[in-house]
Amino acid sequence: MADSSKESPLVAVQVEALVVVKLMRHSTQSFPTTATGSLVGMDVNGTLQITNSFPFPTVDVPVTDGHQQDNASSLAAAAPRAKANVIYQNEMIKFLREVNVDANNVGWYTSTSMGNFINANTIENQFFYQKEMNERTVALVYDVSRSSQGSLNLRAFRLSPSFVAAYKEGKFSTESSLQKSGFRYQDILVELPLTIHNSHLLTSYLHQLPSDAPKEELTFPPNLAALQQDPNTPQPPLFPNFDSLDLSIDPFLEKTCDLLLESIENHHTELNNHQYYQRSMAREQAKITAWQQKRKAENAARTASKQPLLPEDEWQRLFKLPVEPSRLEVLLNSRQVEQYARQVDGFTAGVTAKMFAVKSNLLPGE
Amino acid sequence: MADKDSFLHLARPLGPAPIGAQPSTAPLSVVVQPQAIFSILDHSTRRPSDQDRVIGTLLGTRSEDGTEVEIRNCYAVPHTETAEQVEVDMDYQKQMLALHLRANPREVLVGWYATSSELNTFSALIQNFYGQQGDGTWPHPAVHLTVSTEPGKEIESRTYISAPIGVTAERAADSCLFIPVPHELKYGEAEKSGLELISSAKDREDRSQAIITDLEGLERAVQHVLDMLERVSNYVNNVLDEEATPSSALGQFLMNALSLAPKVDAADIERDFNAHIQDVLMVSYLANTIRTQIDLSNRLATAALTMGTGDVPAADGDNKREGGDRENNQRGGDRGGRGGRGGRGGRGGRQHQREEA
Repeated sequence: MADSSKESPLVAVQVEALVVVKLMRHSTQSFPTTATGSLVGMDVNGTLQITNSFPFPTVDVPVTDGHQQDNASSLAAAAPRAKANVIYQNEMIKFLREVNVDANNVGWYTSTSMGNFINANTIENQFFYQKEMNERTVALVYDVSRSSQGSLNLRAFRLSPSFVAAYKEGKFSTESSLQKSGFRYQDILVELPLTIHNSHLLTSYLHQLPSDAPKEELTFPPNLAALQQDPNTPQPPLFPNFDSLDLSIDPFLEKTCDLLLESIENHHTELNNHQYYQRSMAREQAKITAWQQKRKAENAARTASKQPLLPEDEWQRLFKLPVEPSRLEVLLNSRQVEQYARQVDGFTAGVTAKMFAVKSNLLPGE
Repeated sequence: MADKDSFLHLARPLGPAPIGAQPSTAPLSVVVQPQAIFSILDHSTRRPSDQDRVIGTLLGTRSEDGTEVEIRNCYAVPHTETAEQVEVDMDYQKQMLALHLRANPREVLVGWYATSSELNTFSALIQNFYGQQGDGTWPHPAVHLTVSTEPGKEIESRTYISAPIGVTAERAADSCLFIPVPHELKYGEAEKSGLELISSAKDREDRSQAIITDLEGLERAVQHVLDMLERVSNYVNNVLDEEATPSSALGQFLMNALSLAPKVDAADIERDFNAHIQDVLMVSYLANTIRTQIDLSNRLATAALTMGTGDVPAADGDNKREGGDRENNQRGGDRGGRGGRGGRGGRGGRQHQREEA
């Protein structure tokens, strides 16, 4: 399978409107709990067409404890690789095949809030999909908070081949492997360009939404009340969305900053762990060197007195080197920080434009 | 689209009432979510070529008294239809229902859909199947949603419930009276952004649309508002030039809209504007600094190793390695310090933000 992907790697993802709507509803409904589900579709010359989706079964969590929400979230986040769900997914796909839906599993989706999705769960899920199910799978990430604030935020990700190879070996502890492969945190996830596609029927339906223009010539309303109640007053169109003109962007910026700080703290903790490891490593190394020197001196003395030499590599048995903490967390965290920083950039661009608009609106002619 | 027929239901059309219970006369209204319609349209495009219509099951919620039905979800059910008989895969319907309910335990069976506006004997048969006791929606009436998908015509959707009609016992199974009920399409605030993108593709030749960034969305919205302002000011100018018919209602409306503009002191605006923009830019600057720091930290973590991975055996190599580690340690400490500083700076920036808000 890996060979076939090398022939024509996935270059783009095309999402059917139905999937977008399904995903949105599922994610919004279960917000702030994470929502996950499966995607079906097919792969046409490197473009992955996602044509349908279904959510994974919800897991009942006892309501008694205070962290119920967190529990449900983590359970849902782990759902795509749970055994029961693989069975569920296969069964569902078997049924969908009967009604002519493209019956190939092409990935999974998850909901998130403010781009906070780069964590071990996501990586593990996608790794599971790319390894166990089908190499050519993607993860769709739908950002509930950002979509409610402006335009739709739906992104498609895959794990990079180099990351998959590294993850398979589980080698994130030995820094030499990271260093040798030149692997950087930017290379963990590969984002694929995503387009939305409508069927002909849907296009024709959308032209009827939200309402048709009235056919006959309209007369002016006699008074204000009549104007406001006029059934012919057009509904605001679905596109463009005037919600993006909303001025209150600060809460989002603030939330992102909070998350960013959290990430920095994580980074700090990881660094401390690493330093601790390095200190104890240095200590052990010093001990070993001391031992080796002692042994060497002893051997020198023995050579002088023509006695048999003592082995010099016994230190490997006597001393135990500390295990290096995995660098994976640091890598993921770095990637997450990068994501937040870009998000802040995006917000800044928008908010600056809006502020200048407001200023020139309130102070015309300046 | 559903509102094209104006309905006036003085009383709810009588469905099959449970025996003994007082038949409810409250009006029944049906709300359809876009997901269901999209799903039906998708199913229609995937129908077998020899079949004119396809059917499926509607899932959703029902208010306690059963007067409001919300169709949230649906799934396709295979069926075959010939001139003489209709066959619905009941086993499939049951298993699929069970699968769906596992994912959405709060939804219930509310009825069924067909992709043709036609109502015939088979419709009645299926309607009675969905409305029956046991597996069906009984004691509530099953809702039947038809979405016509005839090429070249407008897509029309209608909803019905049914009442049994007085015929002989043997014909009761395949006859019923379909009563039209009003329905409307509703979508939530959160779904708006998605529908926006979907409908932005409607005028495009290839029927597809790439994800637009926030900034592009903003640009388009501003452009649209400018266009509308242009139209309104054109109209006003025409009225002033006595070329268009004036309307007092429109004038009043425009006055009301204009009076919404806040009256504020120019100096205040200037001050707030500058303070806010500085905050925002500061946050952005700090975020980028943090990003650079993290990048640097990662690079240092791997770069420092170059000294240690000489892999030279014996004491020489050990000494070297030790040196490398020591250096690494120092750098690590440095990194931690910088990270902390960055964090504090970020926090400061955020506090500014809060004061502003």
